[in-house]
Amino acid sequence: MDVVDQLGAVREGKLSRRAFTKGLLASGVAMATVPMGARQARAAGEQATYFTWGGYDIPELFQAYQEKNGELPNFSVFGASEEALTKMRGGFVVDVAHPCNAGMPRWVSTGLFQPIDTSRIAAFGDVIPSLVDLPGNDAEGGNIWMMPFDWGQTSITYRTDLFELEGEESWDMLWDKRYGGRLGSLASGGDAWWCGAIKAGIDFENLDSEDAFTKIAAVMREQRPLIRVYTDDTTTLEQALSSGEMAAAMTWNSSATLLKSEGIPVKFADPKEGALTWVCGVMIHKDAPNIDRAYDIIESMLSVETGKFMINDYGYGHSNAKSFAEFDAETLAGLGLSTNPDDILSAGHFQRPMTQDWETRMNETFEQIKAGF
Amino acid sequence: MADTSLSPAEARQSAERIKTSWFSALLYRSEALRGYLLMSPTILILTIGIIIPFFILVAMSLWTRDGFGFDTTLTMANYARTWDEPIFGALLQRSFWISGVATVATILVCYPMAYYVAFHVHKNKMMWIILMTLPFWTSYLLRVFAWKVILGYEGVINSGFMSLGLIEAPLEFLLYSQTAVIITLAHAWAAFAILPMYVSLEKIDKSLLEAATDLGDGPVARFLRITLPLSMPGIIAASFLIFIPTTGDYITPALLGGPDGAMIGNFIQLQFGPVNNWPMGATLSIVLMLWISAIALVFLFVTKKAQDKIA
Repeated sequence: MDVVDQLGAVREGKLSRRAFTKGLLASGVAMATVPMGARQARAAGEQATYFTWGGYDIPELFQAYQEKNGELPNFSVFGASEEALTKMRGGFVVDVAHPCNAGMPRWVSTGLFQPIDTSRIAAFGDVIPSLVDLPGNDAEGGNIWMMPFDWGQTSITYRTDLFELEGEESWDMLWDKRYGGRLGSLASGGDAWWCGAIKAGIDFENLDSEDAFTKIAAVMREQRPLIRVYTDDTTTLEQALSSGEMAAAMTWNSSATLLKSEGIPVKFADPKEGALTWVCGVMIHKDAPNIDRAYDIIESMLSVETGKFMINDYGYGHSNAKSFAEFDAETLAGLGLSTNPDDILSAGHFQRPMTQDWETRMNETFEQIKAGF
Repeated sequence: MADTSLSPAEARQSAERIKTSWFSALLYRSEALRGYLLMSPTILILTIGIIIPFFILVAMSLWTRDGFGFDTTLTMANYARTWDEPIFGALLQRSFWISGVATVATILVCYPMAYYVAFHVHKNKMMWIILMTLPFWTSYLLRVFAWKVILGYEGVINSGFMSLGLIEAPLEFLLYSQTAVIITLAHAWAAFAILPMYVSLEKIDKSLLEAATDLGDGPVARFLRITLPLSMPGIIAASFLIFIPTTGDYITPALLGGPDGAMIGNFIQLQFGPVNNWPMGATLSIVLMLWISAIALVFLFVTKKAQDKIA
């Protein structure tokens, strides 16, 4: 088909219907086949993908990676670990993912991950052993499934100028009717439900019982009308606390530390019932397309520079013992940390792995409660 | 005796000629075939992208969850659950309420705009239309966030009212409420209301309006008897274009809804995410689809009846 001639025909108004439909067909086929040619155009130097919680997708944690590979890794973000697992079970392939100790055995049991070869990680010798030695973390040949990275607490961040304490700091603060509509909570059951268990006085050993479900559900229902918003986005909670829209909210360490550095009068509570404590780390996907760079990610996260940032700017504990060297005991205590993680982790209520059935039932119940039922 | 037999090359050529002419003859004769051929890329995409996934959805809705996998025995258990447990009905009702109000609000706001451009703008109509749809060139998510900034605790509205001394404390119902979702949906989908209504208003024969005036109708009666009924197709199209997608909307209630503003779309997402019950999510999607179809049919029927009455 002579295109120029056809254009001339259009100008003269002489384009036949047949020629026109032929032209349409040609352009239709062309449009449909265009994407097929572009497949191989991807660059050879592809970066590894890191699948993580919101807030960890920042360059500060990946200085070493960036120096070595020129660019940052690709980030993909989730709000709840169960959501992340579902997404990967649905076929989402990443290089490195970021679960916590309570989810790790279930993640391992899906068969989606490969053991981490500890001999490939230079900084492994500096990793605090008690963080590695978690239930379910031993793979064959002395390797491990999850390389610990950060540890910390889920507790209450409150405005010291807006929230009038009655007695000691306690989980009751998030159930305080005086502040109805001015309290916030994390949306994920992986945090909120466990905090509910602490509030309801349930020992984590008995979490998987009918009685525990009834009691915790009752506590969560009682709290729901007081909550302004449930969110997985920590920034939303931080903004609300800084504007005074919320007087107190359930957060991780980082929110309080970030707000303090902005000069907002907040405190990360040390509730008398104990805070919720956890250890999170990274796992490598079994089909990780960039395995060498996956190890670069881990190496970068374990580096002392990253550790200093985590402690100083985010207020989390780091897994590299050397990262604590520059902080004195007083600073660490102010952040709710210690050079010996066991002090902190065992002082609070340490999360533990649960069965898949429990996890599903818990999420289902909690989502219904959040929706008002 | 002349040699009439063909050389092999010539024979192949003529065979090819017959073959192509056979195909084009068929193409000539059958208009339906020509139509299908033209539509084939679309049909292909539709089949791969919509029809096959739809059947997967139907099949999955008849399964049940079994730990991390599926129990593939066919059962109506999920459908029974959506009927028995009040949460699903309540969420559906809330979704229809929110998107119904948003639809009505959008149409009420956009009709005058479309009307103005159709009847009172005579130059550069295209530019007006483009200007009106300009805000919609930004991403949907960005517009939702913009509303978060406007409606927020320290947002534009609250700080404006506070500095004017109209209110003492920020209005808290503005954000994280159904109101916030309705306002945002009404704005976010305005372009989809303006365009169809503009087209149907533009098509109205102006001589009909002159005739109505000649026969003694005032502006209001003229509008009600001529303009409104004739622009009805545009209004109906706009209602559908807004109501159907907003009912299942997910991101707006997730960001602005708060605990009481959650809609069925959020619950469906939860089934595929943290709750990890894909069959239930599939069932809910299908139930939602059926309800929307039912409501759309009723709406069509009612407007048809109303139109018949006016005509």
